[in-house]
Amino acid sequence: MDIIQIVLIGIIASLLYIILKDVQPTFAFVIILITSVLILMLVVKQIGIIIQLLTSLADKATINSFYLETILKIIGIAYITELGANVTKDAGLASVASKVELAGKIFILLLAIPIISAVVEVIINFIPTSGNHFL
Amino acid sequence: MWKKYYFEYGEKTMKWIGAILLVSTTSWIGFDMSKKLTERPKQIRLLIQSLQMLETEMGYSQLTLQQTFQNISKKVPYPLDQFYERLAHKLSGIVIDFLTIWDEELSKFVQTSALKQTEHEVMKQFGRNLGQHTFLQQQKYIKLTIHHLQRELDDAMEERRKYEKMMKSLGVLIGLLIVLLLF
Amino acid sequence: MLIDATILFQIAGIGIITALIHTVLKQVGKEDIAQFVSLVGFIIVLVIVIHHLSDLFQQIKSVFLLQGL
Repeated sequence: MDIIQIVLIGIIASLLYIILKDVQPTFAFVIILITSVLILMLVVKQIGIIIQLLTSLADKATINSFYLETILKIIGIAYITELGANVTKDAGLASVASKVELAGKIFILLLAIPIISAVVEVIINFIPTSGNHFL
Repeated sequence: MWKKYYFEYGEKTMKWIGAILLVSTTSWIGFDMSKKLTERPKQIRLLIQSLQMLETEMGYSQLTLQQTFQNISKKVPYPLDQFYERLAHKLSGIVIDFLTIWDEELSKFVQTSALKQTEHEVMKQFGRNLGQHTFLQQQKYIKLTIHHLQRELDDAMEERRKYEKMMKSLGVLIGLLIVLLLF
Repeated sequence: MLIDATILFQIAGIGIITALIHTVLKQVGKEDIAQFVSLVGFIIVLVIVIHHLSDLFQQIKSVFLLQGL
């Protein structure tokens, strides 16, 4: 039961945080950081299983693997960005956290460019180009 | 089968044994240092007492240095009595140079005691003047040395008050820290 | 898959012990050494944390096929 483990780690971390907050605030922050790393580490492995399922499904549906890869990359970027942003926010640097989030959004957009352009191309193909025929 | 079990069991136990050994070693070092801090003022006080004895012996009984040392060695406790005993023993043989005997025995004594370099220096200086002058001058030198040692005693007391507890707790804490880092 | 909370306890323990050493040294008036001890403890902990963080990022990279980035 991994969920019990995760919850227990969370509880232990919060207890240790309360103890350490008064004596050494910097170490308390490190505790938060390592907790998020631990929990994410546990979760990432499960996500790997889900992604394997997704890729096998995509193979069966003969979807271009390029699109799936891009989407997975986007999800990954989202997770990493959120981790970084939360950690910086916990350290009391909300402005830096917002910058990290901004960077994440921009990179997601950058990754989405090929998909967007593909979609636009498809739409343009639908629109008849020689419109004066009807005029 | 049993071998594998033995290995797993042994590994964990060894870890704990190592941790306990490490903590006890560093604690012991801390306690030893703190004990040295406690011993130093005591030994300086003994040294002063023995010098006072030397003064009275010189003034009233007019014995030789060798006999005086013998007498003092019977009246002072452990590390100091051996110092005087050895001095008396060496002086009973053929003495070529009193100064080398004094220096040699003094450095031997300082090594076994909790005394520091400053006391060593003071006593070395005292040895330079021992048996070189008339009684009155000799008395002055003894008074001067006692005065120096008194100041060292104050220093040692201050140091003891300051660092005695710190050394103890620091020893234990550093041991725990190293264990945690290696865990 | 058993990630235990040992590292949490380890870091918390290091933090508490460096704090104790800090207070002991401060009480006898060795502020500079106390500061130094705290700094060294923090750096050691930071090294541990960064090690784990890089581990996590490596895993995320491999799971989300981010090798090219």
